[in-house]
Amino acid sequence: MVRKELIRRSPLRALEKSLKEPLQKGEIAIVASPKGIGKTGCLVHIATDSLLQNKQVIHVSFSTRTDHIISWYEDIFKEVARKLNAAMEVHDEIIRHRVIMSFNQEGIKTQQILRSLTAMIRDGNFAANLIMVDGYNFYLATPEDLRLIKEFAKEVGVSIWFSATVKPENEKIWNRDVPPSLKPFEELIDVLITLGEAEGNILIRLVKDRDSYPRKDLSIHLDPKTLMIVEDRS
Amino acid sequence: MMDISKMRNIGISAHIDSGKTTLTERILYYCDKIHMIHEVKGKDGHGATMDYMELERERGITITSASTNVTWKEHTINIIDTPGHVDFTIEVERSLRVLDGAILVLCSVGGVQSQSITVDRQLRRYNVPFIAFVNKLDRTGANPYKVKEQIRDKLGHNAVLVQIPIGLEDKFQGVVDLIQMKALYFEGPNGDEVVEREIPAELQMEAEKRREELIDAASLFSDELAEAFLEGAETEAQIYQAIRKGVLSRKVIPVFMGSAYKNKGVQPLLDGVIHYLPNPSEVKNTALDLHDGEKEVELKADPKEPAVALAFKLEEGQYGQLTYIRIYQGMIRKGDELYNPRLRRKFKVGRLIRMHAHEMEDITEAVCGDIVALFGIDCASGDTFCHPSINYSMTSMYVPAPVISLAVFPKDKTSADQMAKALGRFTKEDPTFRTYVDPESNQTIIQGMGELHLDVYIERMKREYRAEVETGMPQVAYRETITQRADFDYTHKKQTGGAGQFGRVAGYMEPCEEKEYEFVNMIKGGVIPNEFIPSCDKGFQAARMKGTLIGFPVVNIRCVINDGSTHPVDSSDIAFQQAAIGAFRQAYEKAKPVILEPIMKVTVEGPSEFQGNIFGSLNQRRGIIVSSTEENNFCRIEAEVPLSEMFGYSTVLRSLTQGKAEFSMEFLKYGRVPHAIAEELKKAYQEKRRKEQK
Repeated sequence: MVRKELIRRSPLRALEKSLKEPLQKGEIAIVASPKGIGKTGCLVHIATDSLLQNKQVIHVSFSTRTDHIISWYEDIFKEVARKLNAAMEVHDEIIRHRVIMSFNQEGIKTQQILRSLTAMIRDGNFAANLIMVDGYNFYLATPEDLRLIKEFAKEVGVSIWFSATVKPENEKIWNRDVPPSLKPFEELIDVLITLGEAEGNILIRLVKDRDSYPRKDLSIHLDPKTLMIVEDRS
Repeated sequence: MMDISKMRNIGISAHIDSGKTTLTERILYYCDKIHMIHEVKGKDGHGATMDYMELERERGITITSASTNVTWKEHTINIIDTPGHVDFTIEVERSLRVLDGAILVLCSVGGVQSQSITVDRQLRRYNVPFIAFVNKLDRTGANPYKVKEQIRDKLGHNAVLVQIPIGLEDKFQGVVDLIQMKALYFEGPNGDEVVEREIPAELQMEAEKRREELIDAASLFSDELAEAFLEGAETEAQIYQAIRKGVLSRKVIPVFMGSAYKNKGVQPLLDGVIHYLPNPSEVKNTALDLHDGEKEVELKADPKEPAVALAFKLEEGQYGQLTYIRIYQGMIRKGDELYNPRLRRKFKVGRLIRMHAHEMEDITEAVCGDIVALFGIDCASGDTFCHPSINYSMTSMYVPAPVISLAVFPKDKTSADQMAKALGRFTKEDPTFRTYVDPESNQTIIQGMGELHLDVYIERMKREYRAEVETGMPQVAYRETITQRADFDYTHKKQTGGAGQFGRVAGYMEPCEEKEYEFVNMIKGGVIPNEFIPSCDKGFQAARMKGTLIGFPVVNIRCVINDGSTHPVDSSDIAFQQAAIGAFRQAYEKAKPVILEPIMKVTVEGPSEFQGNIFGSLNQRRGIIVSSTEENNFCRIEAEVPLSEMFGYSTVLRSLTQGKAEFSMEFLKYGRVPHAIAEELKKAYQEKRRKEQK
C-alpha cells in the first residue's frame, strides 16, 4: 500500500469526521481516562498518523526515561506500517520529524516547559505542527497554566493534544460529561474525548467539540491489545 | 591454592565529585594495613603499625595500576580501575568485562545525577551486579534516605538500606547495621577500629522499621527467610544469603553509607563486598571456539580445565611492558606455555606478578578468577591467552572499522622515530586505533573512532614519547553503496602478442543489508571453471575497495555471477580478476550508487538554561534531536549527528555554555549523505583526481 492510501484509510479519519473540523492551530484537545486504559497508545497513534502526513511532532512526557516512549512509537509504527511499501524508508524519514522532550521534575512550572518548547522550536529549528503532552497533571495545574499553553500554541502555530488521568471512583465520567477535575479548564478545551471500558471494549466518547457537547460514542474504539484506534465494523 | 569463593574482582563506579578517589584510597589503606599488621607482627610485634603509618603518610596511597590486589578478612579483592570518562570505547568495555561486581558511589548531597545515570547504564549494559555506597554523610544537606529513593525512582533499582546513619552532617558519628542490629563507630586516629555498641535509643524504632523493610525485600529471594521471619526466628546468615541472591540477579541493591573522608563506614562496605558481590565462579563467562566457527562456549571456573585468560590492559612500566590478565579458566604457572590465537603463536610465561598498592609480588601460579600481570609478553590488549590444546578467543575477532582519519607529520627526525615507536605501541593497546602510510601522499595516517579518540593519542605522543607532531585536517571515513539491482555482462579480452587474456563474467549486483560484502556463485555447468571462481571474488573485492563516486569502499553489496565464458588457453586468474573488475564498474553506475557517512549518537548534558544554544548547535550540524530530558535544571539531549559535522564541537559547546556542558559520542550507523552535500563531495573528489593526474 502506498502512503496516501494508508493515511486515507486510517481510523483517525473517522475521528476527524466526527468533529466539526480537524484540530486547528492554537487549539487544545484532551483525551481523558482513568489510569491504564490506553491514553499513551492513543496519543502515539494520533502522532504517528500526523508524522505520516509529513507533520512534525514534539512528544512531551513527564517520566525519567525516554526509551519506553520511543518503543511506543516503534510498536505503533510497526502496526500501522504493516501493509506499507518501503516501510523502513518511511520510518527513517518520519523519525526525523519527531522529538521527545521529557521533564522529570516534581512541580515543574508551566513557564519552564514552554521555555524549553520554545528553545526546541526556535533554536532547534524544529517546525512543530503538533505537540502531544502525555500525562499532564491537571490536578496540580491551574486554568492560568492552560491559558498560557493555549497562548503559546496560538503564537507558534501548533495544535496540542493532552492526555489527562482522571480518578475513576469519584468522577462519573462515563456519564458522558466533562470529568470534574477538568471542569475548571472547560472553556479552554476545544475538543474533549474520554476513554472508558465497557464489556471488554474501550469506547471512545466525544464529550466536547468546541461550543457543542455531543456526548456521544464514536464509531471508533481502542483495540485492547495494541491500544490503537480502530474503526467499528458495523 | 587460592579458594575461588574467597575472590572478588570489583570496580568502583562513580561520577566526578562523589569521592571515588578518597574511597579507593581508604579501601586500600584499611585492607593493606590489616595485611601489613598481619605480616609484620610475627617479626616485630609492637611499633610496626606506627612505622607503617609514617611511611604511608609520606607516600600517600594512590592507585596507579590497572588492577590492585588487596586482602580483606581472608578474601582477596582485585580493584579494577574503571576509566573515568563515559564514552563507549573499547577501554571501558574491557574494564567492565573483567570485573564481576561493582560499588556505585553516590554523593549524599547531590544524589543520583545525570552522570550517575550514565554509569548505571554501563553497569546495566554489562549486567554487572552492584552495591551502592552513599558517601559524604558529613556534608551539609546530606540525606541518604533521599538518595536511596532516587536510586529507586531515577535508576529504577530496588534499593534497600542495610544501614541507617547515626547523626548527619557535622553530627555524623557512625552507622547502625540493620542486619546485626548494632551501632558501629569508627575510632582511632584513622577510623581503624570498628567499635560495636548498642543502638542509640532514639534510633531503635527507626532501625526496626528499616530492618523490616530490608527483610521484606530480601524475603522475595528466600522462602526460608520468609518463613523464619514470620516466626521471628530469622538468622543473620539467612538474611545475608537472601540479599546476596537478590544482588547477583541485580534485583536488589543494598545501600551502604558513610564518609570516606572522615574514615567512617568503609570497613562495613568491604564486608558488603564480601557478603554480596559475586565470586568469579558465580559469573557466567564465555569464549568463542575458533576451531568451531566462533561457536560460543561457556568457561568453567575450574583450575583443572585448560587455561583461558584475557589481556585487558597493557602498561609501559619502568621494567618493560606489563600485561594485565584476567584468568577465566584453568590456572597459569610460571614457566607454562600459552597460546595467543590472534598471533597464532605460543609463548612462555616468564614472570608472573601480583600488583599490590605499594609493591609487586612475584608469584609462581595463579588460578581462574584471579587478575595478575605478566612481564615482557608481545601482545595487544584484548588478546586471549589459552592453553595450547585449545583455540579460544574471549573477544570476537571483529573490530569496528574506524570512522575518522588524520594525517600526522613529525616535526623532525627524532620526533619521527619517537612517533613510530608511539604508534606501534598504541595500535597494540587499542585495536580500534590504526595507522598506515598512504601510498599516494606518503603521509602517515592515523585512524580511530572519533576526534577525541585521536586527540588522546596525539596528546600521549607528545607527553609520553616527546614526539612533536602536527596534524592535518581530520577525514571522515565515507562509504559508498548501491540502491538497486543492476546486471553486468563483461568480457575482458587482451591479445597483444604473447599469451592473451580472456574472461567473461555475467550476473548482477544488488544491495545486501546484512553484510558488508557477499559473493554468490551461481554458475552452472562449469561455464567458468571452478579454479577461476575465487578470481572473480577477488576482482569484485578489489573493485569495491574504491568506489567511483568519491573513492571510498563500497559496502552492503552482493555480487552474483551466473554466467560467463572461458578460453582454453587465454583464461587465467588475472584475466578473471580483470573481468570482474570490469563487470563491477559496468554495473555500478546503473545500480544508483550513493554516499554514506558515519552518523554518531551524541549525548550532551548541561544546565537547562543553555538548552536553546545546545539545540541550535546540534541543528546547525545537521543533527536530529531524538530526545531531551530535563531534570532539576539539568538537561540531557540525545541526538544523531553526522560525524563530519562534529569537528571542533567540544570547543563550540564550551563557548556556548560557559564550559558547563559536556558531550560524548559513539558510532551509531552509516547514513545516506544528503544530495547537495554528496554533489560537493563528488566535485571535490574529481578535482583532486584531476590534480593528481596532471
